[in-house]
Amino acid sequence: MDSVRKLLLVALMLAARADGLNHLVTFPQPPVVELGSNFTATCVVINTTEVTADDLYWNLSGTTLPRELYSKINSTALSVTFTITSERQEWLLCQCGKTSPDVVLNQGRFMHGIMLVKGYAVEKPENVTCVALQEETFISGTFSCEWNDSGHQTKDIPTTYTLYVKDLMGKTNHSATRDKRAQVFLGTFPDHTNLEIWVEAHNKLGRAESEHLFENAGKFIKTNPPDNVTVMSETTFPTSLLLTWTPPINKNYVRLRYRIRFCPEGAHTWSDVPQVDTSHEINSFRLQNLQPDTVYVSQVSCKNSQQGHGYWSEWSSNATKRTAEDVPKGKPGLWRIISEGENTGKRRVQFMFKEPVLSNGRILMYDMKICCRVNGSTQVESLSFNTSETASKSSHREITVLNEVLIPDAETIRVSVSAVNSAGRSAEASLVVPERGREPPPVEELRVWPHEDKLMVEWRPPNSSKVSEFVVEWVRGGETDWQRESKSTTRTHITGKLQRLVCYTVSVYGVYSGRIGRAASVEAFLEQGAPSEAPSVSLVGVPGRNEANLVWTEVLPERRQGFITNYTVYYRTGTEVKAVTVPGNSSSCTLTSLLPDSTYDIWIKASTVAGSTSGFIHSFTTQKYAPGEIEGIVVAVSLGFLFVFLMTVLLCFYKKDVIKENFWPQIPDPGESTIGTWSPDYPLKAEPPRESCLSGVSVLDVDRCEGRSLFEEEKEGLPLKKDKFLSEEHSSGIGGSSCMSSPRQSVSDSDEGGDMADTTASTVQYSSVVASNGYKGQTPTQPPPTLFSRSESTQPLLDSEENLDTTLQEGSRLSQRCSQSAGGDQDPRLQGVKQGEELHTLDFCPLQEDSENNSPCDDQSAAPTSSYMPQLVGESTVSESQLRV
Amino acid sequence: MWFLSFTKVLKECDHDQSLQFACDTEWRMNGHVKSMHFRQFMEPATTLLSLLLIMAVDSTRTVAASRNEQCGNSLQQTLKLTRLVQKESVDLIKTYKASQGEISELLCKVSVSSVPDPNISGLEPSERIVSIYTHLQAFVPHFKRVYEQQTDLQLPTSPLLARLTRVSTHSRNLATLVNLFYQTLFPNVPIPEPAGGPTELPPPQNVFQQKVYGCVVLKTYKELLANVSRELRTLKSKVCRNRKRIQINTFYF
Repeated sequence: MDSVRKLLLVALMLAARADGLNHLVTFPQPPVVELGSNFTATCVVINTTEVTADDLYWNLSGTTLPRELYSKINSTALSVTFTITSERQEWLLCQCGKTSPDVVLNQGRFMHGIMLVKGYAVEKPENVTCVALQEETFISGTFSCEWNDSGHQTKDIPTTYTLYVKDLMGKTNHSATRDKRAQVFLGTFPDHTNLEIWVEAHNKLGRAESEHLFENAGKFIKTNPPDNVTVMSETTFPTSLLLTWTPPINKNYVRLRYRIRFCPEGAHTWSDVPQVDTSHEINSFRLQNLQPDTVYVSQVSCKNSQQGHGYWSEWSSNATKRTAEDVPKGKPGLWRIISEGENTGKRRVQFMFKEPVLSNGRILMYDMKICCRVNGSTQVESLSFNTSETASKSSHREITVLNEVLIPDAETIRVSVSAVNSAGRSAEASLVVPERGREPPPVEELRVWPHEDKLMVEWRPPNSSKVSEFVVEWVRGGETDWQRESKSTTRTHITGKLQRLVCYTVSVYGVYSGRIGRAASVEAFLEQGAPSEAPSVSLVGVPGRNEANLVWTEVLPERRQGFITNYTVYYRTGTEVKAVTVPGNSSSCTLTSLLPDSTYDIWIKASTVAGSTSGFIHSFTTQKYAPGEIEGIVVAVSLGFLFVFLMTVLLCFYKKDVIKENFWPQIPDPGESTIGTWSPDYPLKAEPPRESCLSGVSVLDVDRCEGRSLFEEEKEGLPLKKDKFLSEEHSSGIGGSSCMSSPRQSVSDSDEGGDMADTTASTVQYSSVVASNGYKGQTPTQPPPTLFSRSESTQPLLDSEENLDTTLQEGSRLSQRCSQSAGGDQDPRLQGVKQGEELHTLDFCPLQEDSENNSPCDDQSAAPTSSYMPQLVGESTVSESQLRV
Repeated sequence: MWFLSFTKVLKECDHDQSLQFACDTEWRMNGHVKSMHFRQFMEPATTLLSLLLIMAVDSTRTVAASRNEQCGNSLQQTLKLTRLVQKESVDLIKTYKASQGEISELLCKVSVSSVPDPNISGLEPSERIVSIYTHLQAFVPHFKRVYEQQTDLQLPTSPLLARLTRVSTHSRNLATLVNLFYQTLFPNVPIPEPAGGPTELPPPQNVFQQKVYGCVVLKTYKELLANVSRELRTLKSKVCRNRKRIQINTFYF
């Protein structure tokens, strides 16, 4: 080895000298190095004494290799040995570490390197398998082979595989590939001859061959599946099917053996025929121990019959056939549905038949016998029902539902039925429907719960040892199914095909020697889900100001998909959402604490244990006022006004004196005045007033319509009347006063009786009041002038209106007052005015100025002085109206 | 060989028994006893000899069966391929007639002198096997000639050409198998090549002659395969079973 290395070194030095450029030379320069192997490189200093081996170092991809890996051969040669690890290409450089000027200036000459291209050593391919497929009626000459290779390869050094197939004649065909599969075309498939097959893997590091396969060509055959696979059913063999097929290839090419599998249609597991029965060359096979009247699917596959040769073909297409019918095995299922009859005393019983578990054919009809005891004798009625004429059928085991039969409540019937198909009749199944009210007791503590996609049913048997079996019934909508359980069963699962999200009413009946007991029932879901829809909520009436009554309809049972645990009513105004949760059996609720005059969006969410579903949004607006609030306000206001009015009236009533005093100040009663007593013609005799009011007041009546004539009469009869006036006490009518509200004629004069009406009509409210009583008994120092006082009151003459008699009585007074005023007119000024006014009107008696002027010492008469002028107009107005009346 | 080995074993056994006998003699020192011991020796020796004979016979049978199995496998494989080629030759002549036009039936009734005789010749099995091999080899150039002629007469996609290729390939393989079978039966005797030089082929022909020639070749080949098949079945019953009997006889005699 050392000698070889020295020879290489010498050769390299010679070559380098010839070059004359680099002072460092590395060797070897391999095209590829093997990953995982130790690689040794040597660097030699040539054509210079500037550096020695001690100045050299090795650099691998920028990393200086440690000195421990170096080996100094001599003063000019340095080798390094290290393990090739990474797969990527990299440079191994020999460099000089001396920093002399010559080295620094000629750095390129003091560097040399080796490009390391790495790869893995090839490993021999393993598990070479080849296949030749059938093509038309013979085997294709194309061999497709696959193999495994546990070795690695790099991108730089890939592995190429060559597949070799050597035939009997020694001719070798091959195909190269980078994959682990390849095909070789031989032209004609070498039937019945031996082949030699192997795979060679090679790359730049070497080559390796797989094990050579020396096999008969038949070992690689994979034919097509058998053709024309057919199944025949024979009536005499209801439990078998005859399977026939055609070999896919002539037996001279390859002799085949077969494998057969079959299953009932719709099943997911195949049953395999033992290959011992099909190992020899056959073209037909009889499937046995099958179920009668069942559709079976069969498939056939084939391969080279020689043991260990060939591959199984694909399975043939399905061959489907129904086995022939056989006599029904077992009893048919028999059940009933009892409902209330329209006629009292009778029940409606609907019988249902279910095919026997092994019906072994299509049930053509049911023969039914109904036995009942009537009047001590047993009557038997036989019925036959063709299945094609039955009312309805359900999936699974076909259930035949017969028409309803009316049975008296007090009657016990026994029903027996047998199923008939084309091959024969089944055994009879029987059922006893006891009379109403005498059914045996039900089971107890019935529980139903879902478990692993099934509904488990558990119950406690009734305290009776006569139970012969139990019947588990489940009803969905109008669809009923049932199953029978032995008397020892207390827990089972419903064998029928149940649907999820559907409510089933599960009932368990005890059967007492054919007599059906009472049912124990519960509702259950195989699997609950969120309701498919939520109820639509609606308002009841008009929403209130702060509350709203909501109502909703129950979700339809088929859409509940679970037990409704609760409803949640959401109501939202603006961004505020509130919710009210009510139990699942509720159908209404009242929302309270709503904001007035606000629009609310409401919706309802129906919840089950499995989820919730929200309904549509419904909107409403609350009232601005509560119902009756407006009416209350109106009533309250009205009541307020009424109260105020009543209070006012009461106030007026109870405080009329005050009001009168305020609005109609009390005027001194001239009638009570003593002024009247000292009239010149009036005797100064103090007489007590006969009547305080009437006696002291004189009413001045002025017949305005006849004023002129009156004045004229007065002028004419003045002396006569003057006496009369003076002989009597004159009172003045004071408006508003109860006693003086109407002008009254204190003295009735027979002469003036015919003029009473006129006089009354011409009554003037205001009159001059001659005070008499107040001054009665007084002796003036000088004869006082005649004093006329006038009332300021505008009080209507209510009393005169209320009491015509009084009015009539007072009519004379009025006329008297006018007469008095006319007669008392002794003031020239007054007369002048009266004369001036005669041209215009006779509205009032112009006494005021005289009164003012003539009562300077009377304090009471002086006070209302200022009131006289405005009263003139009012006096005139009222007088005019009275005149018109 | 088995007989020699048996003798050797018997000798060794005898040697061992002699040693035992000598030991006994020295120990007892009595002539009468000597006689008794000799008798006692002869009984187990006879038993051992019988046992060894049975083992030898059984081993011989095993070897004979192995060789017979090898013979049978080779012949069976040859027979399978013969049947396949015979079936293909039948299909081929049908395909040929179907592709030659209306007068195809007449074509095959014309005799052609250059086509090999389909009959198997020879008296001994080996000679008949050689005859089979020779005939199969003789048809190879004829098939090649027919293929060339039909390539000009048929479309490239014609099934006739594919069948010709297949039959020709299988025929060559069959010849090889017959050779191997012969080698199995007579491993030390090389199969003789056909005498008289290369197969004589007909001179250039017109289309009709080509069609006639092709039909005769295929028809004759079909007959040959029928003969080969029959001959191999005969050989199967004769040669392989005879070899078994020969092996056993070799042991006893």
